[in-house]
Parts: sequence; C-alpha cells; structure tokens
Amino acid sequence: MDAVEKANYERQKQWAKEKKVGEGTYAVVYQGREAKTGRKVAIKKIKVGAMKDGLDMSAIREVKFLRELQHQNVIALLDVFSSKTNLNLVLEWLETDLEMIIKDRSLVFLPADIKSWIAMCLRGLEFCHRNSILHRDLKPNNLLIAADGQLKIADFGLARDFADPGYKMTCQVITRWYRPPELLFGCRYYSTAVDMWSVGCIFAELMLRIPYLPGESDMDQLKTIFRALGTPTEEEWPGHTKLPDYVPVGQFPKHPMRDLFTAATADCLNLLAKFFIYEPRKRISAKDALSHPYFFALPNPTHPSKLPRISAQSTRTLEEVDGNVDLDSPGPAVKAPPPVPNRLKRKLSSVSESEDGSYARRLDFKKTDRTKT
Amino acid sequence: MPVPTDVSSETPEPPRKRQRTLYEASTQYRNWRFSTAQLSRIRASLNEAAVAAIRNTFEADLPGSSSDISFLNADEECLLVKLYATKIPQLCAHFGFPEEVEATAISYLKRFYLKNTVMDWHPKNVMLTALFLAAKTSNQPIPIDAYTSRIPKTSPSDVLDLEFLVAQSLGFEFTIWHSYRALWGIWLDIQSLPDHPKDSIAEIYNTAKSHARAARLTDAELIYTPSQIALAAFSLASPNLAALWAHAKSSDSVLQVIEPIKQMILQDSRTPDVEAVRNVDRRLKLCKNPEKVVGSRVYLAKKAEEEKVAAAKRAKKAEEIRKTMEENDPFGEHIADKKKLDDAVNRALEDDD
Repeated sequence: MDAVEKANYERQKQWAKEKKVGEGTYAVVYQGREAKTGRKVAIKKIKVGAMKDGLDMSAIREVKFLRELQHQNVIALLDVFSSKTNLNLVLEWLETDLEMIIKDRSLVFLPADIKSWIAMCLRGLEFCHRNSILHRDLKPNNLLIAADGQLKIADFGLARDFADPGYKMTCQVITRWYRPPELLFGCRYYSTAVDMWSVGCIFAELMLRIPYLPGESDMDQLKTIFRALGTPTEEEWPGHTKLPDYVPVGQFPKHPMRDLFTAATADCLNLLAKFFIYEPRKRISAKDALSHPYFFALPNPTHPSKLPRISAQSTRTLEEVDGNVDLDSPGPAVKAPPPVPNRLKRKLSSVSESEDGSYARRLDFKKTDRTKT
Repeated sequence: MPVPTDVSSETPEPPRKRQRTLYEASTQYRNWRFSTAQLSRIRASLNEAAVAAIRNTFEADLPGSSSDISFLNADEECLLVKLYATKIPQLCAHFGFPEEVEATAISYLKRFYLKNTVMDWHPKNVMLTALFLAAKTSNQPIPIDAYTSRIPKTSPSDVLDLEFLVAQSLGFEFTIWHSYRALWGIWLDIQSLPDHPKDSIAEIYNTAKSHARAARLTDAELIYTPSQIALAAFSLASPNLAALWAHAKSSDSVLQVIEPIKQMILQDSRTPDVEAVRNVDRRLKLCKNPEKVVGSRVYLAKKAEEEKVAAAKRAKKAEEIRKTMEENDPFGEHIADKKKLDDAVNRALEDDD
C-alpha cells in the first residue's frame, strides 16, 4: 500500500458512519461518530465516480475553503478522506438550521434573539470576507445551528475567492430571494456587497417570519425588490441602467420601512436599510455592520445557549421572556404567521452557471431529515 | 503583507502578544513549510522506501530480477519533476490559463512528490492531472474532453484516474499563497513611496516578475513565505528599491533572510539538461513499480488480490444483513419473496463503501 493510501486508511478508520440522514443527487449525508471520542459528526459522501469531469466543482470549492477557514461561526471541516471513488467530508454535527427555526410556528422570537443570530452570521461572514472569500449562497437554510446555539455558515459549494480586477465572475449565484439587484442586472464584477444583501434579506426574514423578497422568477424578483424598496434612481445607484441585463421594470415609490417592520427599533431599521443600499459600493460591509449602534443598544443579544430551539418546547421561563422584553420594548415579539400557500414554497437548491458557462452542480445536503435529532 | 523573518530558522520564536496573521492560519503555513534539511530527509526516505518496495515486488515476481536494476536516487527524481514543472507554463500558454492556474499547478506537482515517488507515478501524467485540478481550484474549470483533446496522446482517463490520488496527496489542501501576488503588493507599495524612480519602475516590476516565475522551479515556496520570495525577486531586479521598501516597512532585517532565496533563484531555476533527464527517464522505464504499470503481470495479480478481498468483504456483509433481516422477520424461513430480500441486501450494500 502506498504511503498516501495508508494515511487515508488511517483517517478513514477514525470515523464511523452510522445512518443515512439525507440524500441528494451528488451526495449522501450520514450521521457518524469519531471512533476515539464518540463525538457525533456528519459525514458527507460525494460520489466522484459518477462525475464526467472528475472531482465536482462544488465539492472542490467546499473543501478548498473549509480547509482554510476556522471560525466559531463557520462550519468546521474535521477531516477529508476517500473510500473507493467517493470523497468523504467529515463535518461537525449541527442540529438544525435557521430556516427550520424561522418556520417553526411554535417559537417566539425576541428582538434580542434576532440580534444574536444576525451578529453571529455577520461574524462568520466578516471572517470569510477577511479571507477574501465570497460565500455567494447565504440563506436561512445555509445557516446551521449547533447544539450550543452557535450559528455556523455552511455550504461553500458556490463560494470563491475575490476575483482579480478585470476578471469576470458569474452572476448566476445566490438563491433568488436573497440575490441582490446588481446580479439580477447581470453584473459580472462584484464583491462582498452581494453577500451583504443576502444578510439583509435574512435579517428581514427573522423579523417577518416569512421571506421578505420572494420573487417568482428573476424578472419578478426585481419587481418584488423595487415594490418593497422603491425603484432606484440614477442618483441613488449611478450607472445601474448600463448594466448588461438592465431592463426597466417599472417605477415603484419608496415606502418607509417602518410600515412593514412595525416592531423594529430605529437602530434596527437604520442597519436594515444599510444592507439594502442599491449602490453596492455604499452598501454596509460585514465589519462596519458589526460596529453599528444596533449591536450596542439594548436589549443585548441573547446568549446562544438561550436562543429558541426546535426540540425544546419551553426551555424559556416566562420571567426571562418578560425581563428581556422589558429592557427595550419596541413592540410585541414576533410569532411566525400561518404558512402561506405554494407561492412561497422554498426552493432548496439553485442551479447555477459557473465561470466557464458549465453548470456547477449544487449539492443539497440538508434538505432531508438531517435536522431531526 | 507583513514579512515574518523567522520562518526559515528552526529555532522557535519567542512568544509574542500579537494576533495571528491570515497567512499563519493557512494550510500552507501549517502543513507545507520545511527546512532545507527536512526536505532532503523527506525525499531521501521516500526514495529509499520506494526502492525497497519495488525491489520486493520484482523479487516476488521473479527472484533475482532486481539485482541488475539501477534505481533512481532522490536527486534524479527531483530532476525529472523539475523538467515536467517547466512544461506547465507551456501548456498554460496553450490553453490561455491565467498565472494563478500555472503557479498553482506547479505547487501541486511539487507537493505531490513530497508524498509520492516518480517510480510509482510518472510526472508526465501527474503534471497533466495537477494542471487539470489547478484549473478547477482556481475557478477556471475546463471540460475533460476539451482538455485532453488538445494534448497529444492523452485520454481523459490518463488525467482523471490520477485526480483523486493527487487531491489526496495534497491533503485536499487546495489553497496556495503565491509569491506573484505578494510581488504585486510590493509593487503597489513601492509606487506610494515618496522617492521611488518613476520611469524605470514598470521595467523593474517585469524583471521581478520573471524572477518570481523562476522561483517556482526551485524549492523556495516550500521553505520561505510568499512575501519573502517576492521581495527576493524584487531585490534581484532592484536591490536599492527592495531595501527602500524594507526600510519603509521598518523591516530592514528581512534583507538578510532573502539573500539565500536570491541565490536559490539564480542557481536552481535553470531548466534541467535534456540529455541528463533523458538518461533518467530511460532508467525509469526499467525501475518503475510494476504494480502501477497497467496490464503488467504484477499489476493484474495485485488487482485480482484486491478484488478477492473486496468480494469476501461484500459477501460477509451480505450474509450479516441477510441474517439480521431473517431474524427480524416474524415469519422467518417462510419468506416467500426471496427476490425482495436480495434487493434489500443489494440496496444496503450500495450504501456501503
């Protein structure tokens, strides 16, 4: 046996697959354990043999970036090994994701909870951006929640390093409802601002408990955005009418955000609006967002361990809830509204074009019952 | 980019209260830096182990057959790898790949041979696979057919069969920090220095870039940081400007660190002598591992042995599953539909690796 094979075999032995918890077209997710410690892990098996062009781009991206990124708010890639012609990624076990939590109508979100989730999301994202990595697929479904309540950014299958000036990138990234208008207009040179728009959408969704900008098609997405935030003027967003895929989609007036986000504080609305600045260069960065007054005003963000979670029915005592609300009581806490019919059905995966025009196949790993435990 | 000065020395640096730089968190910093002595030790022991293993294989196949074979030594292996490293820029020009792909592929090739020997895997094929993989990891993927159809005498399987092995040998650590990027940063810095020469600067940068490219054929990236190599390349182009820059960064001491890198770039970056390499390659034909030669007797014997082990494992697992299922079935032996059971066993086996 070669030294490399031997080393791989040693690694493989450290992890035991226990049961299948999810399956996509290109990957199967198992619940497993570290043999030595019994620690629970997720093992994502990617079928490489089936790929015509060898190792799949999403798998390569995911491995490439997760190998480098070590941060409390980014999912940890514990190991990589191969078995026959399969690639196995050993990831930390995460109980659930933010989408499940948002949709769980028995949970009540306090303003402090929302602040805590958004802060963790921004911390993880700031770390990615500091390492010159764009995530390009932020959405509640990709923000996983650990047993201790920590939020972890996951699924780097569409991520990439910042391009050098002059190099084009694809605009077919980010799940539609979270995609910024510059990408919908076909912008091929972009940066961290695309992820910041997604954070804004997630922030809004945490308050509303339904997706904020649910467009039905790419065209409708622009309309949905402009209906909600007003059609951008040339002054607000210089040059946007010159973008490759620009089409006028009608003039919509601006409504004050307060009309929709009735429970939000002034700080909160101020930050929210900064994620939705049309001109990408003026949109707030992750770093600046973290020093926004919103995070320094009361209520303090909820400790991760005290955040609402799915399995526990009523871990929170009434006292805690009251105390928390009293600190700064902008209005009632938000409960999820009744489910909206089909129109708002979430599309779990997005097919997207990669830089060379071929299709980057998305691995959707979390859609089945991975979250049940 | 700050230029740590302690990287090549083997003495541990005194503990300092400072935040870890991004580079220090990288897999390159953590797993792919060596001292010159470590590099030669690694290569010597890889070579030694390979020779012993191949000699064994020969002897097992036909006793006495290894006695008149002249195996390659570690230096000869390096020479061959280096020759194929020089082919990568030519291929990149052919495909119009950007510099990132080129530099990444060369790094992959060098890293691969810190885990493997050319007597097992010929650098010609590994080079093609490393480049194909580098194109993907640098966001320039190319379909396999488009790739191999433009390289003479190469089929998709020549490239794809090794892809996994290459990825594995790299430890799936695909991110490379390149010196040409650090050089770009130094160049930008220098233009903002108050007293830099305005006219010759573009030419100096171009010369420095060619030195950074030359450094790729040396061991420099396995020993020094990208910024140290970049400054060495810059210093070869213009020692004065490099010193000016170091001074502006209050890091005059780095100038001593880059001296050996400059030597290395000047001495070790020459393309190997074709005749010498041809001689090595000729000997390699005789001493390469027969287990890796597709179709050879030894290769077939090894495959058959592996298949036997795998079949035994599958059979054992199938038996276990069948047993559990029968035990769990309240009607035990009365199973009418044997096919159903077989299907269930097969399904369960598919999930297995």
